[in-house]
Parts: sequence; structure tokens; C-alpha cells
Amino acid sequence: MIRFPSPAWFDAVAAVFNADDRYRGAGGGQSFCRFGVIVGEDIVVVTMDGHECTGADAVDRAGLADVDFYLEMPRSQWLAMLQDIAANGHATLNHTLNTIDLDLDEGLSKSVHGDQYREDLFFRYNQTLQFLFDASARVHTDFGA
Amino acid sequence: MPEQFPPKYGTVARSNQWGTRVKPNKHGLRLGDINVGVYGEIPDRWDDQTRNPRGAIAKKGVPPLGYAIRDKADLWADSAADLYEEAIQRRFASATDVPWDTIKPLPDVLERAICQVLTELCQYANCDIEVISQWQHQMAYGYHEVKQFLATATFDATRMYESFRKRALCNGGGLGLEGPGEINRMILESRGGWSETVTYLLLMRGSFMQTMLRYLERYAQNDAERSIYRFSLEAKARQITYGLDHLRYSIAHDDDRRTVMQTLFFIGDRVWARELGDHVLREALSIVFAGGLENAPTTGNAIYNRMMRDFMNEYLGICEWLGVKRDLATLPGRMSQYVTGAAG
Repeated sequence: MIRFPSPAWFDAVAAVFNADDRYRGAGGGQSFCRFGVIVGEDIVVVTMDGHECTGADAVDRAGLADVDFYLEMPRSQWLAMLQDIAANGHATLNHTLNTIDLDLDEGLSKSVHGDQYREDLFFRYNQTLQFLFDASARVHTDFGA
Repeated sequence: MPEQFPPKYGTVARSNQWGTRVKPNKHGLRLGDINVGVYGEIPDRWDDQTRNPRGAIAKKGVPPLGYAIRDKADLWADSAADLYEEAIQRRFASATDVPWDTIKPLPDVLERAICQVLTELCQYANCDIEVISQWQHQMAYGYHEVKQFLATATFDATRMYESFRKRALCNGGGLGLEGPGEINRMILESRGGWSETVTYLLLMRGSFMQTMLRYLERYAQNDAERSIYRFSLEAKARQITYGLDHLRYSIAHDDDRRTVMQTLFFIGDRVWARELGDHVLREALSIVFAGGLENAPTTGNAIYNRMMRDFMNEYLGICEWLGVKRDLATLPGRMSQYVTGAAG
């Protein structure tokens, strides 16, 4: 069991994601970006390089300065999304990144710099990002309290 | 007997830069990787009027082909080579990548609404194909990265057209009413230069289509529709990225561009407002978002309004990012009613 949202959890998800060729086709592909994940006080910056997720680092708020975009929502919604993925093998309708982004008043994908070009990466790589989180279905996750 | 001549092979050895050895890296050998030496020199103006590949030795006496777009500021985007690679990798085949078997019979009114939306999306995609290809042959070969990316954009548009049409014709429905097409005509008839067309096609209509695709994915009835909209969303996002990148480059290299864009948006807004007056698409989307007719006037309409607010926020956000000043007081009422934030 690995605690979400620790860097170790993302490393475990990355190991599944990087090893599965199915995530490279059908709308997937290489991606080049760094994005943040904010879950309460925990912040992790994830690096995507080509076909692989190559790194996950715990940072503080200042560490978000150079990410292309970051994903933020209440802990309870992160857990609901990941539990849905764990139960179904992938995110179902109400728990996809796009759906959550539309349903949250403030959106899921945000920017610290307001750079439209970099914000657009969330949409350009949307399927790959979804595949990455879907890969968590094969990781034993400790959702914490 | 073919004419015989003693081979000399002297001309074969001629090159502006021989001995070039670009090595693939862990991501392969990408289009942008080979921009080295003379092959990577991309001038501000390309005066060669032939198909001479950038870096090759020009041949004397080749009749000009009449490329109209020869200034870098009129088409360039630094991201073009990367977007080309991205488009090639992320392509999809609708015949096999869309799980068509997940489509089940739907209530007639819902199927009709979905088909109506798809009919108008087919028109959008068809417009994309025609518009991009009618400009592409006018672009000088020195900027091949842009030409290559736009070739993928055309192909992405054909895949969208194909997918939308297939969905409309596979579940007992059919195509509906042709949309008013005023925006399509405005885009097709924009003759002031490629940058003007980019403003209308990729930023104005592009951001609307992207927003609509996001909502259609959200309220899709099955995985097949979700796949179609998600694939299309990625392709549309690439096009918008090119548009943003190009216009930012263009504004930085052409003093008057920002003011021209201000005027273009002012004109485009009025055509857009006329198109918004057509109720067919709005009603169809409301039914789709509500999952049927019963809640379309309430829930469906509310979601439609939210989609329009998201679109206006995105549209005005793009203008702001490009530094194009917008006077919200001059927005037509059919657009300004959806303005909520401080964007613009």
C-alpha cells in the first residue's frame, strides 16, 4: 500500500504507465510537460518526458512556479476519482479529468502564470494524462484518513 | 534506345553543407532535431519562389510558383515542428480506435439532437479542411514546418468529419438541418492574409469548438462518443496552440498586427452574434446536455449557458494573453450576456 499523493505513489503509477504500450496509441503519445498535483497541503510536481512519466517530487507552493499547469481539487474529490478508477480499471464518466475540470467552479486545471500556451497542454495531452491516472488502478493505494 | 552519355557524377557531390550527421535521441529523430547548420537557418523572408527545400542549392531559371506568403511573420510559429510530431503520434483511426459497439439505441428525440449537433460539427470540420488547404499552397517552402503541421491539421479535420458523420449514421438516425454557416463563410472569405484567417478559424471558432467538444465529451451517451470528442479535443487544442503561437510571433514582429486583430475581432463578433441567433444548435445542445427533452429547457439550457460562459471566458482570455485590447461595451448583446469574469 502506497500513500496518495506521495512521490512514491506517483513513481509506482509511473512504473505501470511506462510499461504499458497500450497507453501510447489511440490518442496517447509522447508528452513533454511538468504539472503539479495539489491535495490539501501535499504538493507533487510530475514530469512527463516522451512516452514516460519520469519523475515526481514533493514541493511547496513556490515549487509550482515553473510548472505548465497544476491540478487542484479537494482531497475528497481526489479520493473519489481514484476510487472510481480502482473500481472500474479506468475513470468512468463523472470522474474523468475533463468532466471534473468542467464541473468544478474553479476548474481542475489551473495556472500560476496565466500562459495560455502552456495551459493548453492540459487539453493537448488530455488522453495521456487520463491514461496516467487510469494506471493507478493497478497500484495498491493507501487513501489515508 | 535511350540516349547514352558518359556519367560524370560531378553534380551529385554538390551540397551547401555536406557531412551532416544528426543522431536520433531517446525520442527518435524528430523534425525539429534536424534544424542544424544551414538547414536550420530560417530567414525572416523567403524570396525563393520555387520548391527548393531549405538548405538545398537553388537552380537558376526555375519559373516562379507565385507563393504569396513569404514573410515569416505571416505564418511562423516556433512550436510548428513539435506540433507536427505530436499530431503524427496522436493520430487515431476512427474505424478501429472508436469503440462503436458501445453505442446503443437511444430515445428518438435524443438521437435527433445528437445528430443535429454532429451535422453542424461536420460543417465546422469541412470548413477547416477547405480553409487550411486553400492557404497552404500559398506558403513558401522555406517554412516547411508550418506547412507540414497544417497538413496534419487538415487530416485531423478530415478525421473529425469522418467520425462525426459515422456517429450520425450508425444508430438509426441521420444528418439533420444544415447550420447557418455564417461564421464558416466569414472564415472562408477572409482574404486579408493567413494571420487574419488564423484569428477567425483557430482562435474565435476554434475556442468555441474546443469548448463545445469538452461539454459533448462530458455529456456523451457512450464510450464511442467520448472517444470521438476526446480525440477531436486534442487535435483542436493543437490547432489553437499553433494559432496562439503564430499570432504571438506575428504581433512581436509586426507593429500593426495587434491593432488589426482588434478590428478583426470587432467585425467577427458581429457575425458570431448573428450565428448565435440561430436557435437550432442551442436547442439540440440543450437536449443533449439534459439527456432528453424533458429537462432541456431547464437543466439543458443552464448547461448550455455555462458552456457559453466558459467559451467567452476562454475567448476573452486569449485576447488578453495576446495583448489585444477588447472593449466589453462594444460586444454584441448575444455575446456580452455570457461575460462573467474580469477577462478582457
